[in-house]
Amino acid sequence: MSPPLLALFVVVPLAGAALLALVHQRIVVTTLHLAVPALSAAGGVLLLLAHVGSPVLAHGVGGFVPGVAIPLVSDTFSALMITVTSLVTLACAAFSLGSGEAWLRFFPSLTLMLLAGVNGAFLTGDLFNLFVFIEVMLLPSYALIAMTGSWRRLGVGRLFVVINLLTSTLFLIGVGLVYGAAGTVNLAALAGLGRDDVRVAAGASVVLLALAVKAAVVPMHGWLPRAYPGTSATVMALFSALHTKVAIYAVYRIYSMVYDNAGRWLPLLLVLVAVSMVVGAYSSLGERSIRRSLSFQMVAGVGYILLGLALSTTLGLAAGLFYMLHHIVVMGALLLMAGAIEITYGTGRFTRLTGLMRRERILAAAFALGLFSLIGLPPSSGFLAKVGVVRALFDAGPATATALVATVVLASLGTLVAMQKLWSEVFWGPPMEELPPEELGHHDGHRACAPGTRVRASLLTPGVLLVVVSLIGFVAGGPLWELCIRAAEGLQDSGTYVTEVLP
Amino acid sequence: VSVLPLTVAVLVTGGVYLLCQVSMIRIVFGITLLSHAANLVLLAAGVSAWRAEPIADRVDAAAAADPLPQAFVLTAIVITLAVTVFMLALAAIGNDDSTQHMPETGQDHER
Repeated sequence: MSPPLLALFVVVPLAGAALLALVHQRIVVTTLHLAVPALSAAGGVLLLLAHVGSPVLAHGVGGFVPGVAIPLVSDTFSALMITVTSLVTLACAAFSLGSGEAWLRFFPSLTLMLLAGVNGAFLTGDLFNLFVFIEVMLLPSYALIAMTGSWRRLGVGRLFVVINLLTSTLFLIGVGLVYGAAGTVNLAALAGLGRDDVRVAAGASVVLLALAVKAAVVPMHGWLPRAYPGTSATVMALFSALHTKVAIYAVYRIYSMVYDNAGRWLPLLLVLVAVSMVVGAYSSLGERSIRRSLSFQMVAGVGYILLGLALSTTLGLAAGLFYMLHHIVVMGALLLMAGAIEITYGTGRFTRLTGLMRRERILAAAFALGLFSLIGLPPSSGFLAKVGVVRALFDAGPATATALVATVVLASLGTLVAMQKLWSEVFWGPPMEELPPEELGHHDGHRACAPGTRVRASLLTPGVLLVVVSLIGFVAGGPLWELCIRAAEGLQDSGTYVTEVLP
Repeated sequence: VSVLPLTVAVLVTGGVYLLCQVSMIRIVFGITLLSHAANLVLLAAGVSAWRAEPIADRVDAAAAADPLPQAFVLTAIVITLAVTVFMLALAAIGNDDSTQHMPETGQDHER
């Protein structure tokens, strides 16, 4: 794949979005809505193959002089992220066809615009462009959050917009400070400056703070569990796969490039990730509906992912990346299946659901495997992800390693207990009462549904397929781990990145 | 020389104060002030003194202004404007603009 083609990852979804805003034929909408994320995922795989030979591909947009041109850069890390996020976007698009959201005006168009922003954020090699692409990603999200979901969606839409614009402003201030100190915002030109120049370090730390809020690191996580469950399951799955992960990607990239994985600030990060894991895992216990409970597990996941960065060894970074890929897939799977339950049974509340294990055998089996993956039990990608994180911890000092392994186990136990509660409320227990439709809904305490209610195949398939991807992540764990190691080595070796971008 | 940092300080103070209010309109104004502060920080990252237009072959590069912060600010203004309009729309829905009440969408509260 030749470097100028990198722009296609942004151009094709944007063109698709423009086309879908104009055309409404069902066949066109269905095709484009599925084909564009699929193409993006296929492009990601091609990039991964290309990176076997050349670890970094860089292109200066518009053919300007290197250093002046806006760089698009791809390495194994960004290619992996593009592949997996596009895959989950594809699943969400398929789910929206089943749930009917795809037929809302502009919904498919906004999804593709979101994808364009996300791909751009993964590929850009410039801090200011990262800001622009994050905004390109956020603007359609504001509309998506207001379009579908529960009655809370407009209220949480306010929260979501304010938090994101506030952090974007903070991000911009950070970019300004970095530019003032270093005279450039090109990541390649900033390589290592955070370690050597205190002013650049201070400026970039403002950028990192803004990204930490966007990634929902405890104690800046409060907005996420409030905002996300207010949207529809489709949009929540999309956001959980894309938004927080773009922020985490940027934290990884910036810390590795600008600070050169300097050890000075890592203890602070270690404390933050330890708190994130535990707080996220145990907060789920207090929630009384499926998606609210899962939203806190997203916060816990951020902790595990950033643990890899906090170690900043090759193994640690690779483990963090593996965990991120696993988390994107399994969160998407669980949220889409939760959405299938909500759409079919009209609610995601524990008090209104029971005994789904007997009613929905395939869904229950897939959901159970998804929960196994989230908790970190075999046979799932979650098992390997947690083993990888713990293995990487062994290389830290004995005191740190002991404390953090204990934290990981403690947090996993929290996830286990919280997910057991979810499972026993929703899937175990007496079977659902079957009441005629006119008696449904208005009296509390009834766990009832209309006779013959079953989850449709079109709603079930996307989530189940993502669970299968998670299982494949277990079976093909070896090659996947190799890829993550390669991505981690790419992050640590900023020299190749710099010579490719600034020849 | 200290006009720019002082202005940024005043804008940030006002912005943070307004952000802590309950009403959505005030929050929008708070964000507007903060984004102005951010724009000024970006401008300050270039040279704040008056410089010549940065046009190649006409002005000596040493005397020209740095065009990059200006391009940053322009982009940031456009984005903030778009989001501000959307936030004002979010403030206008519902009976009042208090962020403690969720605007009704006509849907079942049970879900």
